[in-house]
Amino acid sequence: MNAPDRFELFLLPDGVEKVTVSPDQRMPNAAFIKFEREDHTLGNMLVKQLQQDPRVLYAAYKVEHPLFANFVMRVQTEDGYTPRDALKNACQTLIVQLKIISRKFKEGYSVMSMLE
Amino acid sequence: MAEPEVTVRKAGKDNVDVVLENMDLSLVNSMRRVFLSEIPTVAIDLVEVEANTSVLADEFLSHRLGLIPLDSSLANELEYTRDCDCEIYCDKCSVVLTLNAVCNTDSTLDVYSSDINVAVPARSDDSIGRPIQSSTDERGILIARLRKNQELRVKCIAKKGIAKEHAKWSPCSGIAFEYDPWNKLKHTDLWYEVDADKEWPKSKNCDYEEPPNLHDKFDYNAVPRKFYMNVETTGQLKPDVVFERGIHVLETKLAEIALALSKAEEETDW
Ligand SMILES: [Zn+2]
Repeated sequence: MNAPDRFELFLLPDGVEKVTVSPDQRMPNAAFIKFEREDHTLGNMLVKQLQQDPRVLYAAYKVEHPLFANFVMRVQTEDGYTPRDALKNACQTLIVQLKIISRKFKEGYSVMSMLE
Repeated sequence: MAEPEVTVRKAGKDNVDVVLENMDLSLVNSMRRVFLSEIPTVAIDLVEVEANTSVLADEFLSHRLGLIPLDSSLANELEYTRDCDCEIYCDKCSVVLTLNAVCNTDSTLDVYSSDINVAVPARSDDSIGRPIQSSTDERGILIARLRKNQELRVKCIAKKGIAKEHAKWSPCSGIAFEYDPWNKLKHTDLWYEVDADKEWPKSKNCDYEEPPNLHDKFDYNAVPRKFYMNVETTGQLKPDVVFERGIHVLETKLAEIALALSKAEEETDW
């Protein structure tokens, strides 16, 4: 009866920011980034990519409450590099990889479907 | 890391079997999650029951109708009703289907999904919203069985949606996903009576990887690099379309984040 509407899982309401970056007050080059209306699909993928970045010292995320469709990521970087740039690079690298996968899949699929 | 590799092992009518290499487990898992729940398709969302004298309750019938896979190849041409100018539904955001059946004989009448008609094929291609039939000679999914003088007169409104809202919008009936078939990484702890090797059947994917060498030391730094995925569809979309659109959805997600980060950067000074 009082269950939230299912579309609240993925529909960003008016006036809500997709991502909010707030610096970690306790140390430099660290930030908390809140992702609105996203889940493990994005969180896990981004964190694992960030951990591949040699200039990233720390990257992790948590879904704070199962009923709220958001997660918080903490990223800490080396001097002269910001968590924001690290995240942008992670997104970019993943997009490049996905484009390669998509291209190679199309090639492989067209060959295979001709054979069958 | 070397460039990602993709090998298509089987390209079936409603499934595609692929081997993915040189990428992270998290990326392949995100692909799996998106294929299952974030690719837009079309499904019956509103049902106007004009007559239902069958033994099935209206709600029960509506639920069954919602789960029938409809052709969604052109789902991208449709708007979401929430983004549309209309109040409830219109041509831009929905496809209207009708189901009319009366039993006039002493024997029962079976009503199948192939008895559903697209009311107004207004678009360039009338495939959108058509109930899926795996072959022309079969009648599709059994919806109801009518006795003499029982009748169904129903108007169905199919809308675009994603499976995060309701599973009826999922283009995949299942995705098989495996890595490390020899369990060299010990991510799986196999239960056994006496000997796990004898009691557990080997995966067919074992043929694609070297068996473990008993004398090798365990590699604590090893990570999975080869993934086996079999994407099986409901027929709403072709399996290769699921793959391509799924990847596109992921790309869009990432691009949206990158854009939001740049936007936030302009607004703050640090
Ligand atoms: Zn509309």
